[in-house]
Order: sequence, then structure tokens, then C-alpha cells
Amino acid sequence: MTANIANRDDLRKAKEAAILLSDVRLTLTSAAGPVNILNGVSLNVAKGEAVALLGPSGSGKSSLLMVAAGLEAATSGSVAVAGQPLSGLSEDALARFRRAHAGIIFQAFHLIPSMTALENVAVPLELTGEAEAFAHAKTALEAVGLKHRLSHYPGQLSGGEQQRVALARAIVHNPEILFADEPTGNLDGPTGVQVMDLLFALKTRGNATLFLVTHEEALAQRCDRILRMKDGLIVADSPRLAVPA
Amino acid sequence: MNGAAGAVATGNWRLALRFARRDLRSGLAGFRIFLIALTLGVAAIAGVGSLGDAFLRGLAEHGRALLGGDVRIQRFYQPATPAERAFLTQFGQVSQVSTARSMATNASDPGKRTLIELKAVDAAYPMVGLPVLSPATPLAGAIACDARTCGAVAEEALLERLGLKIGEPVRVGQADFIIRAVLVSEPDRVAGGFELGPRLMISDTALQRSGLVKPGSLITWSYRVAFTGKQTLEAFRADLLDKYPESAWQITDRNNALPNVSEFINQATMFLSLVGLTALVVAAIGAGQAVEAFLKGKRPTIAILKALGAESQLIFRIYLTEIGAVSAIGLAAGGVAGALFPFAVSYFFGDRIPVPAHYAIYPVPLIFAALFGLLSVAGFALPPLARACDIPPAGLFRDLVAPSRVQARRWVRVTTAVAFLAIGGLSTLESPNRLFNVAFLGGAVAVLVALRLTAGGLRLALARLNIRRPQTVRLAISSLTRPGSPVTGTMVALGLGLTLLAAVVLTQGSVEAEVQDQLPSHAPSFFFIDIQPDQIAPFTKLMSGFPDTEDFTARPMLRGRVVKLNGIPVAEAHIAADSKWAVNGDRAVTYATTPPKDAKVVQGPNWWPADYHGPTLVSFDRALARGMGLKIGDTITVNIIGRDIEMKIFNLRDINFRSGGMNFVLMASPGVVDQAPHTYLATVRTAPNREEAMFSAVSRAFPNVTIVSVRDSLTQLGEMLEALANGIEIASLVTILAGALVLAGAIANGHRARLYDAVVMKVLGATRGKLARIYAAEYGLLGTLSGLAALFIGTITSWAIAYFVLDVPFIFSGAAVALTIAGGAVGTIVLGLAGGFAALSQKPAAKLRNP
Repeated sequence: MTANIANRDDLRKAKEAAILLSDVRLTLTSAAGPVNILNGVSLNVAKGEAVALLGPSGSGKSSLLMVAAGLEAATSGSVAVAGQPLSGLSEDALARFRRAHAGIIFQAFHLIPSMTALENVAVPLELTGEAEAFAHAKTALEAVGLKHRLSHYPGQLSGGEQQRVALARAIVHNPEILFADEPTGNLDGPTGVQVMDLLFALKTRGNATLFLVTHEEALAQRCDRILRMKDGLIVADSPRLAVPA
Repeated sequence: MNGAAGAVATGNWRLALRFARRDLRSGLAGFRIFLIALTLGVAAIAGVGSLGDAFLRGLAEHGRALLGGDVRIQRFYQPATPAERAFLTQFGQVSQVSTARSMATNASDPGKRTLIELKAVDAAYPMVGLPVLSPATPLAGAIACDARTCGAVAEEALLERLGLKIGEPVRVGQADFIIRAVLVSEPDRVAGGFELGPRLMISDTALQRSGLVKPGSLITWSYRVAFTGKQTLEAFRADLLDKYPESAWQITDRNNALPNVSEFINQATMFLSLVGLTALVVAAIGAGQAVEAFLKGKRPTIAILKALGAESQLIFRIYLTEIGAVSAIGLAAGGVAGALFPFAVSYFFGDRIPVPAHYAIYPVPLIFAALFGLLSVAGFALPPLARACDIPPAGLFRDLVAPSRVQARRWVRVTTAVAFLAIGGLSTLESPNRLFNVAFLGGAVAVLVALRLTAGGLRLALARLNIRRPQTVRLAISSLTRPGSPVTGTMVALGLGLTLLAAVVLTQGSVEAEVQDQLPSHAPSFFFIDIQPDQIAPFTKLMSGFPDTEDFTARPMLRGRVVKLNGIPVAEAHIAADSKWAVNGDRAVTYATTPPKDAKVVQGPNWWPADYHGPTLVSFDRALARGMGLKIGDTITVNIIGRDIEMKIFNLRDINFRSGGMNFVLMASPGVVDQAPHTYLATVRTAPNREEAMFSAVSRAFPNVTIVSVRDSLTQLGEMLEALANGIEIASLVTILAGALVLAGAIANGHRARLYDAVVMKVLGATRGKLARIYAAEYGLLGTLSGLAALFIGTITSWAIAYFVLDVPFIFSGAAVALTIAGGAVGTIVLGLAGGFAALSQKPAAKLRNP
């Protein structure tokens, strides 16, 4: 069970922060027995901040992103994102939270294969009942340089194009927080750079908070702050220039 | 837009419809098995229901023709008196038809004789419809008599048996008739029933000339009345019973011309509907699995939609819309197939169907089938759908080996339970025999539970097996015990079909064995009917002169109808269902001064004194007495030739009705009964190689005596049983087909994992042959175990049917074993290999490059 935010001071902090985690733990059960993924993570990310999360495989980076994005419920501890406590929210309430406040980019793109690029990007707006969903989606695709690929299906796009569509989908509803889980992991170097340039440009334009999980030191250096994880714990938290080489 | 989001409920149907339409762009491939299963199940129920309705409507429409008028009255022995004829004539035109079983001989070659169903008609026949003769000629002319001889028309089978041609004479009794035409069909006859010989039709004048009409001869005298005015059936019945309360007439009217046939159709429709329902339930299990497999394939899409903010309700509605759309196609396709089924039956088997049918589209069975289909989809597809919608997005992305366990929501559990109860309730409500219906459904549920438990037990047992070699077997077993293996689903669904097949085959085997085994040990070789009292002495002499004969028995026989029990009319008396047959229609009655040697008196004094001549006493069957609530000292009133005779129960006997011999339910004391005109019934057993000689000798010496070969009758009975069993077997094959679909669904369910496994195995050096052997071992084991489980449960089911319902000894047959196990194993291997073909031919590089 996650703890609730108990006092007025905590509430104020939660409202001021983009992401506020306190002693977050995550344990998953599998056939082999329980596995501890997060072992008491506390974190405060300010609004508009760009945070990079570095760490070896299995350190808990993606799980921490999942918890912060409301995709996974923490086993214990408190989670507040965009001023909203997520602890104890139902699955549907979490869905409503995500469509209101979060844009998510995955390493594997996760586009819906039966929808065109335009339809994929329009989905978050359609879910909110936005009447001009397709017009905004078109603008977002133009912004990522895919004006000529509106009616293409994911299977007809290259990896870089697919990730740009995912990027357009993540920002189309101007979310307060952008969550990106190794967004260049499946792309070659130059394409990865292009996508990240776009991501930072859009983040800056929308004044969004960025929570980026990555393996790449160079990419992390473009963020305001770098966190290091190991064995389900944040072991280092420093501004980018102070990060040891 | 920021922050304004979330104000709109994402569960709205328009959005769901839009997303569903986009999702279906990839086609219906994922729904193939669902669609086939639903179509098959609905078609089975709709088809059986439509065919039953076609027959019942056909009977209703042809009721007047089948009866030969608006109403028919008939009785044994006595034709209508002039007064009775006059009474009937008041209502309209009257036609007299008399029927009897008799012997026919080729007049030119007296060695050729056969048993026939003789029908003598008057000039008014037929009042409704027309017989078909070949060559086409009016019936009246064909059977007309002149001073010397009469004409006759006969079925082709009679001409073949006697080696006769049109224009040649046939001898019946003491008269020869010239065959003038082949009788192709009669308007008032349902062919194919239990008839002992082919039809010969003559005029009533010819019947008189034959000499067969003697006191006590077993002739049925039937009168059909075609109303000419506005008379009603009710008024006719009331007037007849009022005027002739003790006349022993059996009355049948056009609204239910063939009550036994209607009853049979109703019962057969009910039974086949239940088998169809079983097929539908099995198919629905397959449909449920198919939905699960489909949704498994949709996990990434569901996860993405959820990650983007879609609520469970929207996801539910998207896929409910898709499943609903595909279900509509399945229901429509099944409905169309079911609606067309009677037409297909008519096209392929029309000439072999003995009952008139009205082939048309019948909406009621189609609506019922659609309802059953819909409820089955709700029962089996709703839970996996609801589960998929409730799995958190992280679980969907993570794709754990141990999948997220999501308990279905309460409303889903309630809806599912309501759907299953509604299926049982609806099926019971529309059934003519609700108790049987409930018992069948209860049995089916018990079998399902038993199969599920067996599957669970076997899976556990296999998991504990520590087989390391051969590797093929080890891999097959590990495949069967891994998470998401098809063991439970396949064993339950395929097992249900195989259980039904095993039960049918075993029951059929027991019944056939009973019919055949009776013949050599107990049953007589012949029944001789209508031996006149003055013939009994020479007849006995003829029999005693025959070598290798035993158990010759001759008894006086009269036909009588039980009309009252302890003075209460049978219609008002409380009679158990299994005893009603004894009061429906005429029964054979005999009388005896001494107890017959095979009589097994179980209650009361042994027998009345040999010289007893007081009020009539009767020795009655104990089981029937129990069914009728009678005991020693109670009375049974029997109407014999229009006279009510009250008989006091003297003792009770146990009668073995399966002995094949004479089984008189009523054995009366002499004094009154023996005064009525009657004939003798005799039975004898002789060596099979002497039967033909005995047949010839009796038919030559006593041309009026009707000879019924027990062997021929049992053969005919066996053929009828076999035809019935074939019908049920076909129906159970539909269930097996549905089970095969479930297996196909299970294979589809594990397709992705299998593909991945195959690629990894190939990378590690496994050949396609090796993989095929592993699959064959896996599915062979699964099929064999399913077959064994089905055989075990089917055996118990069949034993229960044999013991409790049919009252025959249960016989275990090897054919059932072979059919069930081999059918299960071979079918499963074939389907399994077919399903695994894609995995076998998968090139590893392609899959590894593009996972």
C-alpha cells in the first residue's frame, strides 16, 4: 500500500513539484517468487525541469518511469505527479490522469498498427473529446517533419519516422510532463540525435517537464539534472555539469 | 487543451465504434475460429429445430390425408354394425378400410411366400388424396372384382419377393388376385415404420373372397369420415361416446393424425436439440478461447490505448463492438445454415424420409438458436474480454510468464451466471420432456466438471513426472505443463464430444447385443398368428412331427383394451408414465385353466382351480400393477369386442418382456373370456437351417395363418435402431467438430509462443522433423489422454443409460475404445500438426530480424 500525503506541507510540496516521490517501493510477483524492483526511491522534480535517469540494465529505471507515469502502482510510498497524488487511484483514474497531464514515449515506439500516423497522433485528443483532434494531430506531425506521412501505417514507416510519430503523439495534447523511456534505443546514431533535438525543442516550446530514461551519457548531458540508479535506488543526483565523467 | 482533458467520458460508444472500425482494418483473421465455432453451434440448433418444425407442420397439413378423412375410428375383430354405419353417415361420407397381417403366395409358384401388410378398401377410398400407381391407372379399376377374380395392387418389394409381374396372380388366403399395378404410394400411409411386410391392396369384396374374415381374426376395421357439414370433432366424439359408450372404438382426428409419429418427432427433436446445445456449448468454449487468443494479440494495442489515457470502459466497448459485430455475422451465418438445413435434407434424403414435411423457413427455432448463440457468447466471451480490459497497462507491456491475475468484476460474474442459467432455462422451457432435459443438462455439466478435474489432475501428474529421455517426450510433456498450455481447454471441449460419441457407441453396442443375444438362447423362431380353433389340433400335430423343434406353445388370443381400473376410467386413473403403454390401445389377452409352465407367479396364490368358472379372475404383471396402483383383489375392466369384462386380480407375475416370446400381460380365467370369438397364437423354436422348411410347411397347410419370423423382425428392429444410432452419431460428430475447433483455438492461442519456441529451437539446431515429432508427441499424448478420459466418463454414462433408462445389460465394446481413443489421438495430432505447420516452416532469420 502506498502512503498518503499526510500533512499540509507535503501537500504544498506536491503541488509545487512536477514529480514528487517519497520512499517508493515496487515488488513484483512472478512464478519464481517476489522480485524487489524499487527499494525506497524519493525524488522531487521541479516543473519545467529536464531530468535524465541513468543506470545499468535491471537497475529499475523503466520501472521508476512506469510508477511516475501512473502506468504501474507502487507497492508502498507516495507518488504525486503534476500536483496530483496517484496513490490509491483506480486504473481508470490513472488513465484520466495520464491523458490530462502526461505524454509518454517508448523505446519500442508502441504505435497502434491498425491506425495511420495521423490517427495514432489524434488518439490522445480523441480520448479527451477534442473536436479538432485531427487538425491538431496534423499540426503536431508537421512539427516533427512528417507532413508527407499522414496516411501511412506504422508498418510503412522507418524506425526514425515511427519514433517521430510517437513524439508527435506524446506532445499533441500539450502535456505538463513528458516521459521518455530510452526513446533512441531502437534508432541509429544520427536518427537518434534528430529525434532528441525534436524532443528538447518541443519540451522547451511547451515548457513541459521531461523525465528521460537513457543509457547514453551524452544524451543525459542535455538534461538539467542527472540521476543514477542501482539496485532499485537512486545513488546519485546532481546537475549535469557536476556529473563525473 | 492541457488540463481540459478528462472532462469527457472516454467510454462513449461513438468513439468505441470509431476505434473498433480502425482495429478491424486488419481483417477478421483473429476471429476465424470464433466465427466458425459460433456459426457451427447456432447452425446445429437452428437446423434441428427447423427440421423438427418442418415435419410437425407437414404432419399437421397432411393430417386429413394421412387419416383419410376428418376423423377415424377403428377396432379389432368386428366391422361396424349397420346401426353404427348409419350413425357415421350422419356426419358425412364414410369409407371402410380393413388391415391385417397375412401371407401372400405366388399362385404360379406356391414355394414363394411372404408376410404382407394387407389392406382392403371400399369404393369410397380414398376420400382425401390419391394413391400413385404404376402404370398410372385409377385404383377402383385396378382392384375391381368380376365374377371370377379380383384385381390387386402391390408394392414393388412384394413383386420382387414373390417373383411376380404385373398381370400375374397372387394368392391370399384361399383366393387368387391379379396384380394390376405397382403401388407407389398411398395418401394415408407413413412408410418406413415398423412393418413386417410389403403392402398388398385389394377391395373389400376381395377380402371377403379370401376367407380371412373369420370370427376372432386379427383384422383392424377402420372407418374414416369426411365431414360434409359444419360438424365439429368435439361433437363427433361426444355423440359417439354417448351412443356407443362400450364400443371399444379408438378415435383419431385430423389434428393429430399420427400421435405416435408426432411424439417421436418431438422427442427426437428434443434429444437432437440437446446434442446441438452441447455442440454449441463446446463451440462457445472454443469461441471464448478464440476471444482470449484474439485479445492476447491485442495486448499491445490495449496497453498503448491505456497508456494514452483510455479507460477500461472504452477498451471494453471497443472490443465488445468487434465481438458483437463478428457474433452478428456468426449468428446470421449459423441461422442461414440452420434455416437451409431442412432444404438440404430434403434435397439429399427426401426420397428416404417417410414423414410428410413442409420445408420452409421457421422463425421460432432460428430465434431460439440465435438467443442460445448470444447467451453462449455472453457466457464464454465476456469473462476474457472483461479480464483483458482490467489488466493494468504495465502488466500488458511486461508480458509476465505468470500473467496478471485479474478477478472478473462482479457484474461480469453475475452476467455470465445469468447467461448460463438462461441457456438451461430456455432449453428446458421449450422441451417437451423437461425432466429429461434437466437430467441431460445436469449430466453434461457433471461431465464438464469431471473432465476439468481430470485435466487438472493429469496436468499435475505430468508435471511431477521426471522423464529425461527420450527428449521428444520430455519436451512434449513440458509443453503440456507450461503456463498457458492447452491441456484443460482441449480436454474439456474435445473430451465432451468424445464422451458423447463413446456413450452413444457403447449404448448402441449394448442394445444391439441385447437384440442379437436374445435370438439364439431364448427367442422363438416363429410367431403363428390367427390359427383358427378348429386348426389348433392339426397345427400341433404338424409341429410335433417336425424334427429339432422345441418350446412349441399355443395360446388362445383375443385383443382387448383396458378401460377401467377399480371402476375408474383409465383417463381419470393415476398411472405412472412407464405403465401408460398398457392402457394406450389394444392388448393381447389370453385365458388359461392351468398356469403356463413359464409363468413366474411372484405374489398371490399360484393359480385358480382347473375347473374354475366363476367371475373372471386375472393374472397380471407385477410392474404394471405397481405403476397403476393395483394390488391383488383390485379389478381391471377390459373391453373385448365391445363388451366390458371386469376381472379381479388373482395373482401377480414377473414378465420378462425381453424374452422375445409370448408375453401376455392379462391372463384370464376361462368362463367369460373364452366365449368371445378368438384365434390361437403359437410360437416355436427350431434350428435356423430348418426355419425355411417350417415356413413352407405351415404356409402350405394353413394358408390363412400369418407367419412372423422373429429373426427377420429382429433384423428389421436392429436396422431401425442402427438408423437411429447413426443419426445420433452424426449429431455427436458435430460436437466433436466443435471440440476440434476448440483445439484449433487452443493451438491459435499458443501460436505466438510456439513460433518463438520453434525459432529458438531451430537456432539451437533442431530440424523440422525433430520439431514435428515433438508436436506429434505432445498432441498425441493430449489426444490419447482426452480419449481415455472421455472413454472412462462415456462408459459410466452409457452404463447409467443402459441400467436406469433402457433396462438392458451393459456391454463394453472394443470398437468404442478404438473409436474414442484413436479418434481423439489422431484428430488431435492432425490438428496440432496443421496448427504447428506455420511454426515448422518459420525461417529463424526472418523472425529474429523482425520479432
